[in-house]
Amino acid sequence: MHMLTNLMAQQTIWRLPEESRILFATLIVLGAFVLILGLAPVLQTLPPRGRRAIIVTVTFLAGLFFAAEFFLPVDWTAIFPKDDPKRNFLTPAIQPAQNVLQIIGALALGLGTFGLVRLHLRNAVQRRAQWGYSIVLLVSFVVMATLSILNTLAEKEIVERGPVLKRAFSILFDYTLVQLDAAMFSLIAFYIFSAAYRAFRIRSIEASILMFTAMLVMIGVVPLGAFISYTLLGLPEAGAPEGANFLTQLEHSIGLPKIANWVLTQLNAPAQRAIEFGVGIGGLAMAIRLWLSLERGVT
Amino acid sequence: MSYQHAQDNWFAAIVIGFIALAVLVNIIRARMGAQLYIRRIPGLDAIDEAIGRSTELGRPVTMIPGMTAFGVVAVQALTIFKYITKQIARFATPMRLLSGDPTVFAVAQEAIYDAYNEAGRPDLYDADNIRFLSDRQFAFASGVAGLIQRERVAASFMFGEFFAESLIFAETGNMVGAIQIAGTVSFTQVPFFVAACDYTIIGEEFYATSAYLSREPVLLGSLVGQDIAKLLFALTTLGGVVAATIAGTDAPIIKLLGQPGGWDAFWSSVLKGGGQ
Repeated sequence: MHMLTNLMAQQTIWRLPEESRILFATLIVLGAFVLILGLAPVLQTLPPRGRRAIIVTVTFLAGLFFAAEFFLPVDWTAIFPKDDPKRNFLTPAIQPAQNVLQIIGALALGLGTFGLVRLHLRNAVQRRAQWGYSIVLLVSFVVMATLSILNTLAEKEIVERGPVLKRAFSILFDYTLVQLDAAMFSLIAFYIFSAAYRAFRIRSIEASILMFTAMLVMIGVVPLGAFISYTLLGLPEAGAPEGANFLTQLEHSIGLPKIANWVLTQLNAPAQRAIEFGVGIGGLAMAIRLWLSLERGVT
Repeated sequence: MSYQHAQDNWFAAIVIGFIALAVLVNIIRARMGAQLYIRRIPGLDAIDEAIGRSTELGRPVTMIPGMTAFGVVAVQALTIFKYITKQIARFATPMRLLSGDPTVFAVAQEAIYDAYNEAGRPDLYDADNIRFLSDRQFAFASGVAGLIQRERVAASFMFGEFFAESLIFAETGNMVGAIQIAGTVSFTQVPFFVAACDYTIIGEEFYATSAYLSREPVLLGSLVGQDIAKLLFALTTLGGVVAATIAGTDAPIIKLLGQPGGWDAFWSSVLKGGGQ
């Protein structure tokens, strides 16, 4: 118990010892590879029912870890006096678990890149339609990957960052990729315009209400709204004084910026929250089905 | 880094437990043969119509899970795409699934392969039709927009989590005259889909899709459980409004409903015999 208490106090249960971190990390990675390489043939030889039982068990245990971490009380100082009262003994394992998920994601990135390169290599070799674009993609991929790797190595001072590397990486990343991203993003402005035109065409009572409300909000949130309300119409900008009668209160509340704010906070926000509630409950139900392996869609 | 725990507000933890229980009880009820009703969702009825149009025109169907990272949203999106692929396989309609997340791409390959197998047409499966384009938002958006334009797709299904790129997909599809059905949990993107798509599945309807399409008892039961949970939320909201109006927003009961540590404040006030 004393050793466990010390370990928990030092938070070393889920952390590698500082002095031999590289050795432990190497052993863990090698162990994981051996486990995966050993497990894959075993899983392949098992009948589907046996394979499913293993997957169901692993899924349940993984889900149980996160559920237990959330539901277990955080203050264990009555049993372990040196323990941090703001976390339970599973909390420090959250970060390593998230690291594992990141590693799986990184492995999948390799798979995705392999699929992309394979497709475009085939396009180029078999001279399929528009194979020129595939050549452009492959050349860009190789050049960008090479320069990015060299740049990362230079940042870690493993290779020297010469002027050619610096300039070439800057041209490709800062002056090409970032600018292309910005160009795509700027297209959204034009798409919003055409989508808004279709949405605001008055075809029904609902569309008319939508358009009228949208106009109020659009004018209300820009300086024009304040100019019309407070300069042209002379409406009071400040809030109504306490104890004012209904008409005075109304006069203080009908400026376009105030109407726009009211629409956004009193009509729009509750509707969005209602949707969020539905989404949250739906997500929770889906998570329960996945955890208990009741979901048969893609699992 | 600090994480949220049930102890921060036991009331929220109890609500989570209640929702889980409601879902599980109704799944058991559905499995025992209870007849459960599900209302009509026009956007989902239109899926077959969109596939039919693609088949008639001989042009591809695109399925886009967006930049969705692998999780419950991605699993739901892939379940829907699997159903669509099974329908597509019957008519040998060409398809493209375009992903911006490598993990989703890897699972999508398996799911689509399974769908063709289950439809009895494994010969139609082509791994090149499931594509990972890029994990950079606008590189992915330009890849999707380019493919929609070049291949003049006839139907576009967008299910998952979307960000600023949603309108690029939807407007490009609109320009080539594709039937577009979108379903997303990203409520900030809903207006764009409503404006540019033929049908939009909003919020919780997204999670109802697989139950609606498959009519599987487990999924239908889960859906009824979700509805009971929503009723609980509605009653809690109504109760909270009444209680806040009568007792004020600083009352322990209001803190219990919504604030970290509210549980302790509520019980200490109960043990003291009221007050704060």
